[in-house]
Amino acid sequence: MSNLFDIDNWREIGATLARNKTRTFLTAFGIFWGTAMLALLWGTGSGMQRMMMSNFEGFATNSCIFFPNRTTMPYKGYRKGTGWGLNTDDVINLRRRVPDLEIISPIINTEATFKHKDKTFSGTIQGLEPNYLQANNPVITSGRFITDYDVANMSRVCVIGENIATSLFPNIDPLGQTVEVNNVSYRVVGTVKQKSDMSFGGRMEDSMVIPISTFRTAYNMGNHINFVFLVARDGVSPTNLKDQIFTTVRLNHPIIHPDDDDAFQFFDISEIFGQISSVFTAFDFLVLFVGLSSLIAGVIGVGNIMWIVVKERTQEFGVRRAIGAKPRTLLVQILSESAVLTVIAGIAGICFAVGVLGILGPSISAQVPAGEGLNFFQISFNEAVWILILFLVLGGAAGIIPALKAMKIKPIEALNDR
Amino acid sequence: MIKLTDINKTYPGAVPLHVLKGINLHIEKGELVSIMGASGSGKSTLLNILGILDTYDTGEYYLDGQLVRNLSENKAAELRNHKIGFVFQSFNLINYKNALENVALPLFYQGFSRRKRNVMAMEQLDRMGLKEWHHHLPSELSGGQKQRVAIARALITNPAILLADEPTGALDSKTSVEVMGIFRQLNTEGVTSVIVTHDPSVAAQCKRTIRIVDGLIV
Repeated sequence: MSNLFDIDNWREIGATLARNKTRTFLTAFGIFWGTAMLALLWGTGSGMQRMMMSNFEGFATNSCIFFPNRTTMPYKGYRKGTGWGLNTDDVINLRRRVPDLEIISPIINTEATFKHKDKTFSGTIQGLEPNYLQANNPVITSGRFITDYDVANMSRVCVIGENIATSLFPNIDPLGQTVEVNNVSYRVVGTVKQKSDMSFGGRMEDSMVIPISTFRTAYNMGNHINFVFLVARDGVSPTNLKDQIFTTVRLNHPIIHPDDDDAFQFFDISEIFGQISSVFTAFDFLVLFVGLSSLIAGVIGVGNIMWIVVKERTQEFGVRRAIGAKPRTLLVQILSESAVLTVIAGIAGICFAVGVLGILGPSISAQVPAGEGLNFFQISFNEAVWILILFLVLGGAAGIIPALKAMKIKPIEALNDR
Repeated sequence: MIKLTDINKTYPGAVPLHVLKGINLHIEKGELVSIMGASGSGKSTLLNILGILDTYDTGEYYLDGQLVRNLSENKAAELRNHKIGFVFQSFNLINYKNALENVALPLFYQGFSRRKRNVMAMEQLDRMGLKEWHHHLPSELSGGQKQRVAIARALITNPAILLADEPTGALDSKTSVEVMGIFRQLNTEGVTSVIVTHDPSVAAQCKRTIRIVDGLIV
């Protein structure tokens, strides 16, 4: 179609669109608004999803947290409401009897005051095993985390949260310094922070991590454990392992009634994750629905204006046909007009949406710690191109009905249309 | 140039209208012919058939030696483009294109380059004495000038025949004379023209007059 590259074709398109400026503007605005809305909704929808998901960053999504409750049923002479605790035997049993659990990370923690010279900081002291890194990965900002060697040797080493580091060591490198807790000194080997907003057993920034063995000795805890972090193997949902875990723990704690599942606190991250995912699936549908509605409104606008244009130009098309225009040539002409209108207004709409998302996105993203300095709400270049292509196809489709009508015009009818 | 044999045309409807009832017509190359008839006589239908804008039911129509029958829209458009130049009563110029672009338009559909089109269009405008007006829009031209632009457009493809439908119908008498002068001038240059009119003074300036009454040539 050599005609397509003929400057006259483009001049003609320009002339037609310029002929009725108000109408062209209003139609273009319809498309502009449609693309802008779709792009904005898209950006907002996926942005909120990314923002939500950032809370889980660092958490294995097929993990759960398990800790004891008081019993809720009397059993074997024990009244209901009896307290019980997890211990290292439970960890050993779980490792032996529930092979689908990939990681079992026991945790002991308590409130504590950290001291260095005249400075103090109140936070949480956590006794951990190194496998904690695989269940809930904190960001090690300097130095290292605790190791198996530390646990085996009950080393008096610690990894401190960023907030502790800045409070106790405002001007010096904390690595190699000592922190005193209950008159016991620990050597700082690393600093940490956490990615997500969600935490169990205290935020990493405000926590001091020491080997679990060191914790037991220092606090005289015996083999007690506060809670365990569990991560299922890939492809296994921890929800499905719940019964196995409960049965295993009951072995070691005969005071729990076989039906008393409420004696266990089972915080299933995978389940919450799944719930949030399904909320967002619904949200995506809403976005899609509203976005497509505004899209269709814009597209109908294009179809409408092309219809009027064809009606208005019936005589002109008749003349063109009389002097030798083939139906196909006219079809291309009309379709190019709607395509040009759609592309220009569509690009403007997307630019507008990208601008708005670019201005508002960062401040909303900063509401969650993981979003600091990021913009969860921006659409990608590919998404922008897809929106444009969608509009172009639909705009073209809207132009096709009037264009086909124009093709069907018999030259004589058109010439008589005065 | 044109040879019509027993052309019949009926418009279907609740009451079918038999408009052309066996037209036989022969127009030689270089003729200047007028077709006259009262309204409803079928002269417009005849012109539409001659211009391949309408179809006929029975008979044969040869244009420049070629049988015009059952043509596809594309083929008809091509034939009109190459063989026929149209001049209309209401000029039918495209109002957002200037004189030069209007004249060049038939060549656009033949795929000529823009430069070549414009050179050829300028030649035709010059022939019509409108060279200085080439950049004017139709709304900036007088009736006579518009019709001359339309004639230039009709001539640019060097057609086998010029079909004019009441070419002076929208013009005052002085301009009518001027436009008819152009047709006569073109005739001396060898252009074949068929002019449909109901104005006897126009018909008088043609070399032959064909009268149609009730769908038949008398």
